[in-house]
Amino acid sequence: MSGLSIGNVKKSFGAVDVIHGVDVEIADGEFAILVGPSGCGKSTLLRMIAGLEDITGGQIRINGRVVNDLQPKDRDIAMVFQNYALYSQMTASQNMGFALELAGAKRPEIDKKVGEAAAILGLQPLLDRKPAQLSGGQRQRVAMGRAIVRDPKVFLFDEPLSNLDAKLRVKMRAEIKALHQRLKTTIVYVTHDQIEAMTMADKIVVLHGGRVEQIGSPLELYDKPRNIFVAGFLGSPAMNFLEGTIEDAANPVLAMTSGSRVKLSRAPANSVNRPLTLGIRPEDIAFGGESGVDAVVKVIEPTGSETHVAVEIDGKELTWVVRERVELAPEQRVKLSFETSKVHFFDQQTQQRLDA
Amino acid sequence: MTAMPTNHAAVHLEVQLSSIKRDPVLIGLWIALVAVALVWVAPFVFIVFTSLKTPAAVTSTGAFVPPTELAFENYSAAWSRGNFANSFLNSVIITVIKVPLGLFLSAMAAYALAKIRLKITKALLLLVVFGTMIPFQVMLAPLFTLVNSFGLIDTYPGVILPYIAFGVPYQVFILHGFFRGIPKELSEAALIDGANHFTIFRRIFLPVCLPVLAALLILDFVSTWNEFAMALVLLQDQRMWTLPLGLMSFQGQFSSNYGQLNAAIVMTVLPATIVYLIFQRYFVSGLTSGAVKG
Repeated sequence: MSGLSIGNVKKSFGAVDVIHGVDVEIADGEFAILVGPSGCGKSTLLRMIAGLEDITGGQIRINGRVVNDLQPKDRDIAMVFQNYALYSQMTASQNMGFALELAGAKRPEIDKKVGEAAAILGLQPLLDRKPAQLSGGQRQRVAMGRAIVRDPKVFLFDEPLSNLDAKLRVKMRAEIKALHQRLKTTIVYVTHDQIEAMTMADKIVVLHGGRVEQIGSPLELYDKPRNIFVAGFLGSPAMNFLEGTIEDAANPVLAMTSGSRVKLSRAPANSVNRPLTLGIRPEDIAFGGESGVDAVVKVIEPTGSETHVAVEIDGKELTWVVRERVELAPEQRVKLSFETSKVHFFDQQTQQRLDA
Repeated sequence: MTAMPTNHAAVHLEVQLSSIKRDPVLIGLWIALVAVALVWVAPFVFIVFTSLKTPAAVTSTGAFVPPTELAFENYSAAWSRGNFANSFLNSVIITVIKVPLGLFLSAMAAYALAKIRLKITKALLLLVVFGTMIPFQVMLAPLFTLVNSFGLIDTYPGVILPYIAFGVPYQVFILHGFFRGIPKELSEAALIDGANHFTIFRRIFLPVCLPVLAALLILDFVSTWNEFAMALVLLQDQRMWTLPLGLMSFQGQFSSNYGQLNAAIVMTVLPATIVYLIFQRYFVSGLTSGAVKG
C-alpha cells in the first residue's frame, strides 16, 4: 500500500497558481525528499500534506485514506519545523508529551513513550531542560522526539537542518537517516540543499515553479537527469553546459557556438546540425593530450580532498574538479578532455534530455 | 616582565576614564535625565510634604519645605471625611473585576485577529483600531443615556462594562501586534499536536505573552483606578463613588483643608504605585519585548 499518494494536487493563492497539478507516489516506509529552489512550492506542498494549507484541487491520501478535509491532528502525521517550534515555557519532556496529553493519555503512558523517544535520540539527560537551555542540535532533536512520540504514519520535515551550522548539519543528517532506518516510517522531507537530498533520500522529487521536474532515486537523477534544470540543480559543483551543434554522425564532434570543437564518442540520433546543449559534470573533465580543448585557468579553490578549478573555454566559464595534487596557477593554459561516455545531451529548445 | 600588566592596566584605566570624561552626549543625557526626574518628582514631594503638615504650616511655609512636625492625623481625618472605607472598596471591586476580565477578553480577541484567518479579519481589526480613536468625552452623554436605559446607573456593571468597552481596543491593538510576532509554526505545531484554538491560546500563547500582559495590567490598573470623568457621570450615588470621586469631598466652596486633601491624594495614588512597583520589571520587558531577537 502506498504510504502517501499525491494526485493532481493544485494550489492557488488568489489568482496566483503556485502548484500546478503535482502527482507523487511515496511507498510505505520510503524516505522521500522534495527538493527545489526557493519559491518552487515544496514547503507549500508539505504544508498541504500536513493540513496547514487548503488544497485547491486534487487529492492527498495517507495510507489509502483521503485526507483533504481532515484536520492536521486527524491525519496521522507529525511535523518537524525549520525553527523547531518548541513551546518555550515547557520542558523538553513536556514538549514531547504534549500531543499525548491533549489526546487524553495517562501520565504513566506519556512518561513511557517520552522515555522511549528520548532513549532513541539520546535526550534522557536533557528532559527537564527548557528549550532556551538547549543548543540548536538538541532543540532539533527534541522536535524530532515530539514527532516520534506520536508514532505517526508519516513524518514531515520542513527544512529541519537549515538553522544548524555546517558541522552539526552533517551529524544530524546521519542521525535522521539512522532514525529512518530504525523506525521505517514514511518520511517526506523538504530541503533546498541538494546534498541533503542526495545523501538521505530513497526517492527525490525535484520541483520547479510548482511542477515536478523529475522523480527518482538519487543516483538515477544524478546519472540521467531528465532536463537541464534537474541536471544543473543536482550535484555540487553544478554540471557545466556548452552550447553547440553536432557535426558528422559517424565521428561526432560538438562544434561549440564559441568556436572550439570537442570530439565525442557518441551522439543522439538525428542530432546532426541540431542546436544542442552538452552537459558535463566537473569530475568528468580531465587533463587532455594534444587533442584536448584549450582552456585558461581562472580561479583555484582547494578543498583538501579535491580542488575546484574555474576554467575558461572560449570565454565560457566551466568548473573542473581535480582529485589529484597538481600545480596550477591563474591564467595558466591547459588542455582539457571530457569523459565522453558521461556527457549528457539536451535539446536547446525543449531543454529535455536526448539519449544517445 | 611584572611591570607589563600593571602598565597595561593603568593605560586601560586611563583610556576608560578619558572616554567617560570626554563623552558630551552622555553628560547631556544625564543632565536631561536629572531635569526630567526633578520635574516628575516635584508634585510627589509637594503632595507628600503637604499631607503631613498642619493647616497652619501649609499656609505659613513653602510648598517644598519639609514639615517640622508630622501631622499624621490628616490621614485618619481624610479617611473618614472622604468616606474612604466605602470608596476604597468600590475602587477595589471595580478594578479587580475590570482589569483581568478586560485583559482576558482583549487577549482572546487579539489571538483570533492575529492567528485565525478569516475574510473579515482585516475589517474587524480596523473596527477595533477605530475604537482607539474615539475620545470617551465625546461619548459621555450617549453613554449615560445607554447605561440609564439598561437601568445600570449607580451599579458596578454600569461602570465596569463601559470601562471594558473603552479599554479593550488599545489592548487588542497592542496584543495583536505581539501575537503577530510569534512564529506561526508554534501554533501550527500545536494544531498538529491536537490542540484547538482555545488550548493554543491558553497553553501556548498566554504564557509567552506574560510580560506584555503584565505591562498592560499596570497601565490598565492605573488608568482604571484613577478614572474620574466616566465614574462621575455613571456613579451618582455617593455610596457607589470610587476614590477619585471621594477626593471631591475635600474641595468645598468655602473651605479647603490642603493637608487632608493631599493625604487623601497620597492614599488614592498609593495602591497604583504599589502595583506598579510589583510589576515594573515585567513592565519594562513587556514594553521592549520583540524589539530584539530573543
